[in-house]
Amino acid sequence: MSRLVKKSPSVCTDLPLNSSDVCNKLRLMKELLKSSYGPTARLKQVHNDIGGAVVTTSTSSVLLQAISCSHPIISLIKGSILNHVSRYSDCGLFASVFCLSLIEEAGRCGLRKDVMIRVYKHLLSLCTAHLQQEDCGCKVKLDFCSSRSLITLARSVIASKPTCVLSEPESAHISRLAVQAFLLTVPCNIPDKVRLGRTVTIPIEGHSVLESAVFSGLLLDTPENISLGSLCSPLRMVLFSASLAGDLSELGDGRIEVHQGVDTDSQILDQLLELGKQVLKDEVKLFVCQKVIHPVLQHYLRCNGVIVIERLGISLMEPLIQLTAQPVATLHTTIPRAAYGEVHNVSVRQFGSKTKIHLHPAGKTTTCTMILCHRNETMLNELKQLVCQKTEHVLRLTLREPCALLGGGCTETHLAAYIRYQSKNDVSESSPVLSCSQTEYLLAAEAFCRSLESVATSLEHDNGASLIDLTHAHHWTLPSDVTEEHLKDATALCGCGVVQSCQNRKWSYLNTEYAEFSPAPLLTAAPLQPTVLDSFTAKVNALEVAVETANLVLDVRYVIQDVN
Amino acid sequence: MAFRQHVGLQKLSALSGRIRSSVGPFKNYKFIQDESSGDSVLVCSCFRIIENLEPACTVGQLVYETVRAHHQQYRTGSGCLLFLAGAWSHAALDSLQRGISVQHIITAMSEGIDICLDACKKFSVSIKDLTVMEKCTAAPGGTKKASTNVSTEMANFHDKCLSKSGQRKVKFSRHFCETKSGMLSTVRHPDQPDMIVIAESLSHGCEKTMKLAVEAAQMLLKTNQQHISDPLFDISKMLTCLVSGLPEDCACVVEGCILLLSDEQAVVAHMLKQQSLKVALITGDLSQTYRHLGFKSLPGEQSVREDLDLSASSEEDEWVDKVVKLLLNLEVKLILTAGLVSQKVIRHCCRHQILVVEKVNSSVLKTIGSSTGAIPVNYATQLTESCVGDGVNVEIWRDLSSYERKSLTAVNISTGRNSGLVTVVVTSCVHGKLQALEDQFWACAYRLHHALKDGALLPGAGGTEVLCVHQLQKQAEHNRVKDSKTGSAANLYRGLVLQLMADGLIDYITAVMVNTGRCSAASARTIVSKQLTEFHRDEISTGKFLQLVSQSKREDAGFSAAKPDETPTLNIYDNLSVKQEAWRKALDLVFLVLQTDAEIITGTGQKNEGNLMLL
Repeated sequence: MSRLVKKSPSVCTDLPLNSSDVCNKLRLMKELLKSSYGPTARLKQVHNDIGGAVVTTSTSSVLLQAISCSHPIISLIKGSILNHVSRYSDCGLFASVFCLSLIEEAGRCGLRKDVMIRVYKHLLSLCTAHLQQEDCGCKVKLDFCSSRSLITLARSVIASKPTCVLSEPESAHISRLAVQAFLLTVPCNIPDKVRLGRTVTIPIEGHSVLESAVFSGLLLDTPENISLGSLCSPLRMVLFSASLAGDLSELGDGRIEVHQGVDTDSQILDQLLELGKQVLKDEVKLFVCQKVIHPVLQHYLRCNGVIVIERLGISLMEPLIQLTAQPVATLHTTIPRAAYGEVHNVSVRQFGSKTKIHLHPAGKTTTCTMILCHRNETMLNELKQLVCQKTEHVLRLTLREPCALLGGGCTETHLAAYIRYQSKNDVSESSPVLSCSQTEYLLAAEAFCRSLESVATSLEHDNGASLIDLTHAHHWTLPSDVTEEHLKDATALCGCGVVQSCQNRKWSYLNTEYAEFSPAPLLTAAPLQPTVLDSFTAKVNALEVAVETANLVLDVRYVIQDVN
Repeated sequence: MAFRQHVGLQKLSALSGRIRSSVGPFKNYKFIQDESSGDSVLVCSCFRIIENLEPACTVGQLVYETVRAHHQQYRTGSGCLLFLAGAWSHAALDSLQRGISVQHIITAMSEGIDICLDACKKFSVSIKDLTVMEKCTAAPGGTKKASTNVSTEMANFHDKCLSKSGQRKVKFSRHFCETKSGMLSTVRHPDQPDMIVIAESLSHGCEKTMKLAVEAAQMLLKTNQQHISDPLFDISKMLTCLVSGLPEDCACVVEGCILLLSDEQAVVAHMLKQQSLKVALITGDLSQTYRHLGFKSLPGEQSVREDLDLSASSEEDEWVDKVVKLLLNLEVKLILTAGLVSQKVIRHCCRHQILVVEKVNSSVLKTIGSSTGAIPVNYATQLTESCVGDGVNVEIWRDLSSYERKSLTAVNISTGRNSGLVTVVVTSCVHGKLQALEDQFWACAYRLHHALKDGALLPGAGGTEVLCVHQLQKQAEHNRVKDSKTGSAANLYRGLVLQLMADGLIDYITAVMVNTGRCSAASARTIVSKQLTEFHRDEISTGKFLQLVSQSKREDAGFSAAKPDETPTLNIYDNLSVKQEAWRKALDLVFLVLQTDAEIITGTGQKNEGNLMLL
């Protein structure tokens, strides 16, 4: 008997941004993400309510995924930021805080939404045009002749995640390793199509971070009592992806009828041993399988001097194929000669209690292995899963666009000062084009600049004040226990470390009014090297994503929800 | 965000409060009862307390994760880790209450731990120096080692250095080297007594257990004919066997591998004793249905049969027959399996006088394999001539039937020459206590192992802590002075946090002293502060410092674990790497919790608490 339930009609809400409930939720989300921003961020413990594992983090991808949202507007924001993060890895929190600030500011200044949207769009194009200019004051050209700026870039990413609990020398070590690994994945000889290699990361818990290291080639798990004996170089190897466990698990759910007395298991095993015989005849010295290898086959091969590695796992298949330049062997026919690969040499390395076999490639390789050590599981997870992968991605992005942006909030304050100055100057031309009054234009521009500045302010979590200097428009922080006078005396540096304080410098608190000015370029003979750099490509895209998402949210007139 | 009452830090502090009475050498047993099932366990060590409490909150999980990782590696020092995590989270809470920002606390505490670890490194005593020093101090007392004469020991010490350099020279020729080592193994090497001295200073109140550990370690060195100048033993070749029903004094160290057998197996063992046996090693289960890990049997397989043959025996019987026939062919008399063995196999094997032992430690398989030439295999059907090892002896070690209701026989499986395995039999009349005793043994063994591995020790009995307190206070004072000159507040904060960190260490020392039951918290604090003022009065050097510690210890026997009526003749030492790791991990925990300001709960059920905010 089927039962019919009357469907309730969909609920339509008018002007969702006017509801206080939605505003509260947005504010809460902003507070949550804002407090996770930057190197002195507050961490969040993410867990489910049935006692699952606890993840301690301040990374946008984990935080946003953990937010189970009750309102479509929040899922809209969440979705677009997560999409940005999946493509660029970096600047997720920047984009979310900026986007949420834009929405909040738009509500605060009380202009018509369509005006806001048009002005925001216009200012975004101003920003991106400015950032693309050669002489943009917050852009740094990356010099690939020296690794210094790359290391700075890597270090800024690594230092922005306090869950890793790294000391100064430790984060310096990890950033050097990250750059080293990145450089190893760049091929030396350039064919017409450049293909970057892979970095395989192996986490080892319980050791000091300083024991982490990068190796060219691949390190694979191996049983501890491995004996390499005398192996001549190069070693021929074969790689299987199909399970050699001796079962028929890959058949699916089909039914097989077998005669009584027929032992399928032993027949499959016989076939496997045939395979082993052939492999021995072909003088294979290294036998690798992605899945399980039948212990009898393993035993047979080992007794005949073959190194057997099983359960390689899917993630290591691709790098291994790249390393040895071989196809994956199949079980359908006898193995053709072409299916064998080569490694130059193997050696055994010991890391604590773990034994690893190190495959040295035959030629030049772009595959490398990073051994990451940390004292604690939580910290190691953050370091591996989020920080190192993100650093690798950020470094790769520099190949597309060899520049970086000043970090530490300086890019944000610089852009804000620039936009303020620009909008004052072009108000008479722009406002008719955007079909709004001059006052409206200036108000909306102010909202945009405030949002940018609020991102810079979010870097401070200990009740310190955020300031902007009135010559170069860089970002400065003043700890809560230090007076402004002190800032002048001390040899303090701005957020990115390029500008040094001096006697006649003027500051203004962020989010207070100051006379607009055009940020002056730095014209010293020996400029200071920036200590904090952000990914250019990621940040420019984050800027666009934030403004466009904010515009989309501002444009939402009705929310129609199916409540069944 | 109410930082002034950081909930996470309070939880951490509260959790560590549970083990306050279990730090240090004097521990009380605790019962932990599960209200839902009514089960209860008797626990002693701090690790077991946390393990059995199964903390459910997020901070608790973080704590358990950290402590477990530490325990797996070191087997000792979990209490120190947990206590200091609590004490330092208390320090962090105090700092927050005084309005110091999180960032300042982290910077200052990082500086603090660097000071402490530096102090540890600087004031650690190398094992070589220690032996000489201990003998100099121990001999005048003359009670413990009357036979050891200082001057000969000193001479030995110099001899040893000489012989070391001599060895290095002949090392290039392997012939020389071999004869040399052969000769050395018969002579009692001057390095050997070192271990006893080290062990005594590391026993921390478990003299008996430590004696077992030393005995086991020395036996391991001897049976493995290891180069004796390197006293580091392979701890993976040490085993424990738990026997309940015997008094604790019966604990002993036996060369070989002691395993407990059931009645019917014991009968076989009786028949096999004093023979050189062939052995097979199996890493999987010994049953027909067993398949290796990763093997998926087909769900859709059906067998079809053309004629009905009722006389056919079952598949399992056929399999057992096959295996037994194979074993008889290979003349295997002993099978050691890492997995389980089906009852049918045991019965058949017993009938053919083959001894099958299940659930054998994999390191035993490995060692027996390497000393007999047996190759471990996964399936019994896989066995061939080349996999079978030769020359294993089974001895009836002891018949324990009279102590237990169910009959039990302990056999010793060894490979005669140099099996390389040593078993420590841990006994207790109380079954529930066995685990605690085993933990205690491993703590001792690992302490000894790490001491030899580090090659250095830290002054114990709170000495290192007092020293670190001194260094922290000195730095705090230094900051205060600098602060009054420059007028910056940052230094003042730093000084304050360092002082609070030092208080945490003092709290640890007092807790340990109070746990000995010989002094109250107040008098413990007085003793510590007296020591500290002595430190502050005169700049200390290593030697002077050690002297101070040992002096003050004689004054207050409250610290040492020795009986008050005996004059303690030996100094107490701690492990270097264990302590450093524990401290660092403790501070890691505090940092992680201190920096956390919110919990995000995913997949919330309907039981929302009042203070949850919904997105």
